[in-house]
Amino acid sequence: MHLVVTGISHKTAPLELRERLALPCDEAARFGRRLLDAGPAAEAVVLTTCNRTEVYLFADDTLAAERLAVERLATLAGVDPAELRAAAYQKSGDDAIAHLFRVAASLDSLVVGEAQIVAQLKDAYQAACGEGCTSTVFNKLFRHALEVGKRVRSETAIGERPVSVSSVAVDLARQVLGKLERRVVLVLGAGETSELTVRHLQAHGAGAVVVVNRTLANAEELAARCHGRAVCLDELDAQLVAADIVISSTGSRDFVVDRARFAEIMRRRRRRPVFVIDIAVPRDFEPAVGRLEGCYLYDIDDLQGVVASNRDQRERQVAQAERIVAEELARMNEWLASLEVVPTIARLRSAIDGIREAELERMAGPLGTLSPTQRAQVEQLTTSIVNKILHLPTVRMKELAAERDVSVYVDALRRLFDLDEVAPVPARDGDAAADAAGAALPRAASGACALPAPAADAAPLASPAPFVSPAQAS
Amino acid sequence: MAHVQVVFFWFAYLLYAGGFVCFAYFLFSRRELQDRLGMACVAAGWLLETMALAARWVEAGHVPVVGGYESMVTLSWAIVAIYLILAWRTRVKALGLYVVPAALVFLTIAWGRYAPPAHLVPALKSDIVVIHVGMIFTALAAFLVAGGAALIYLVEDIALKRRHIGPVLGRLPSLRTLDQLIGHAVMTGLPFLSMGIAAGAIRAEKFGVEHWWRDAVVALAVIAWAIYAGFVYARLAAGWTGRRTAWLAIAGLVCLLAIRLVAVPYLSGFHVWGK
Repeated sequence: MHLVVTGISHKTAPLELRERLALPCDEAARFGRRLLDAGPAAEAVVLTTCNRTEVYLFADDTLAAERLAVERLATLAGVDPAELRAAAYQKSGDDAIAHLFRVAASLDSLVVGEAQIVAQLKDAYQAACGEGCTSTVFNKLFRHALEVGKRVRSETAIGERPVSVSSVAVDLARQVLGKLERRVVLVLGAGETSELTVRHLQAHGAGAVVVVNRTLANAEELAARCHGRAVCLDELDAQLVAADIVISSTGSRDFVVDRARFAEIMRRRRRRPVFVIDIAVPRDFEPAVGRLEGCYLYDIDDLQGVVASNRDQRERQVAQAERIVAEELARMNEWLASLEVVPTIARLRSAIDGIREAELERMAGPLGTLSPTQRAQVEQLTTSIVNKILHLPTVRMKELAAERDVSVYVDALRRLFDLDEVAPVPARDGDAAADAAGAALPRAASGACALPAPAADAAPLASPAPFVSPAQAS
Repeated sequence: MAHVQVVFFWFAYLLYAGGFVCFAYFLFSRRELQDRLGMACVAAGWLLETMALAARWVEAGHVPVVGGYESMVTLSWAIVAIYLILAWRTRVKALGLYVVPAALVFLTIAWGRYAPPAHLVPALKSDIVVIHVGMIFTALAAFLVAGGAALIYLVEDIALKRRHIGPVLGRLPSLRTLDQLIGHAVMTGLPFLSMGIAAGAIRAEKFGVEHWWRDAVVALAVIAWAIYAGFVYARLAAGWTGRRTAWLAIAGLVCLLAIRLVAVPYLSGFHVWGK
C-alpha cells in the first residue's frame, strides 16, 4: 500500500479552475467517500481551501487510484480530464508526506506562514473521519501533519508578524494602546482600506466608530456598514480629542491636520496616546505631527515598510521550517515501516502455525492411541518448537522496524515463506473483507470509523491515539 | 552554616544567570519554552536565595541587613520577590530582562563585600531599625521594577517613533501596559519609602544622632521621595502619562541607587554597621 496525493493549488492552476473545485468541507469528504466506494483506494482525505483542492489517497494501486481521482475531479469541475491533469500535481510516497507536512506548515501557502491552514486541514480530516474515509495510516498521518503545523508555528517565527497593511495597523495599535476593547476609532474620509482596517480593529474588540467626512452622506453610508456614527467635518477637532485610533484617507490636496493644530489637540487630550494611520496620498497629517509626545503617526509607506520587513522575516524562517518538516518526515517513515513489519510477523506466525497444525492433522492416525494428557503434551511440544523458532526473527524484525530499510527484510520474509500467498487478497468492496493484516491495517469501511464520532468537536484529535499501534497489534 | 549559605548563594546566582540567558534568548528566538524555563530558573534561584538568607540569619543571629553583603543580598531578594509577584499577576514577563540582571548586579556587589556576620552596634539593636530597613528595601525593589519598566517604555517609544519595528518589539509589552505597570509600581513603593524614612527619622531622634538630617543618605532619600511624590501628583492630578512619568521614575531610581551604591558606602556619616 502506498500514499499518493493529487490536486491543484494556486501554484499550478488558475483561479477559474480552482473555484470550480472549491468544495465545502463536508462535500469534499463525501467526494472522498465516493472515491473509496469506487474501488482502488483504502483511505482518502480531500482538502479544499480557496487556494487548493487536493486528494490524499492510500492505495495498493496508486496509479489507478490517482487516475480515478483526477477523472472524478474533472467531472466535478466540468472540464476535460486532460485539462485538469495538465494543471494538477501528483506526488507519492515520501514526496506526498512531505507535501502534506509543508501544506500544514503553511510553507506551500500563498502567504507563507498564514494561520488558517491548520484549521482547514483539521476540518478536512475530521470530515473525512466522519465519512469513515480514514483508518490507521491516515489517522496517524493527518494527526502528525497537524502536529507539524503547530510545531512549525511555535518553534519558528513564521506566522508571528502580520503581512498586510490593515493587520500591521492593528498590530501597531495594540503595541501602543494594549488591548483595543472600548477604544474609540475615528475614520477620516471613507476609503476601502480604512473600512478594512476598521473591521480588523473591530475584530480585535475596538469599540465605538466615528466617521468624519466632507460629505455627510458618504460618512453615514460607511458608518452604517461599520455600526458607527457619522459626524460632520466641523466637529473634527472634538473627535480627534476623543479618539484613540485615527484612520485618515481623505482626498484632500493639502494637509488636513498640521502640527500646530494637532499640538493643541494633544494638549486637550492631556497627551493621552493616540495612534494615527494616514493612508491618504497625498498625506492628510503633516509628518511633524508624529514627533509630538504621545502621538504615533504612520503613513502608508511606513506601514508598507513594516509589511515588507515582516515578509522578509517570514522568508528567513522558511529554512528552519523545512528542517522541521524533514525531521517529522523521518519520524513518520519510521512509523510506516513499523506498520509493514507487524502484519508480516503475524503472517509468518500464522503460516508456520498452519504447518504445525497440518502436520498434527496428518499424524492424527498414529497419535490416536495417545491419552488426552499425552496428546496435550504433544500439542504443547510442537507449539513450543514453533515459538522458539519464531522468537528470534520476531524480536529482530521489531528492532529493525526502527530502521529505514526494514522493507528489504519484510520483502525477504515474504518471498522466503511465500507469505503473500497465505494472506487472502483484500476484497475490493471493503466491508466484510478481513485480510490477514486486518488487526493492524483495517480498511476504512463505511460507518466503521476507527475514531470516536467527530461530532464531539476536536475529540478525535484530543483523544489518545485510538488506532492500533504496532506494539499493540503484535 | 557559612558554607551552606555560600553554596546556596552561588546556586541562586547561577540560576538567575541562567534565567536571564533564557529571557534574552526568548526575546530573539520566540520559544515559549525558554520563557517558561527562565521563569522556573528565577523562581528556583529565589528559593535558594531565601535559604541562603535564612542560613545567614541563623548564623548572624539578627535580621540579615547589616553590612554590605547582607543588605545587598536582601535587596536582590526583595527585587526578585516583587518581580515574581508582578510577573505572576500581570504576565509582563519582559521585565525579567531588566530585573534579573539588576538582581545579579546586586549579588555581584554583595559578593565583593562578603564578610562574616558582624556584631550589631548598639544603634541597630532595635525593632524600629528592622522596620526601617524592611520598608526601604521593599520600596527600593518596587522602584527598581518601575525604573525597569520605564526604561523599556522609553526604548519602545523611540522604536515606535522611528519605525524600528521588528519581531523583538512585538514580544515586548504594549506601551500602555508598561505605563500602567510604572504607575502601579511607584504607587506601591511610595508608602513604603515614606514609612521607611519616617522610621529612620524616629530612630535617629531617639538614639540622639546629631545633625542626622544633614547626612547625604537622608538628603538623597528626601529628594527621591519628592520625585516620587511629584510623580504621583502629576499622574493623578495633572494626568501625566507616558514619557514624562517614565523619566520621573528613572530619575527617582537614580537617586535611590546613588544612596545604595555611593552614599551608604562612601559619604554617610552614621549609616555605618557593626565593626
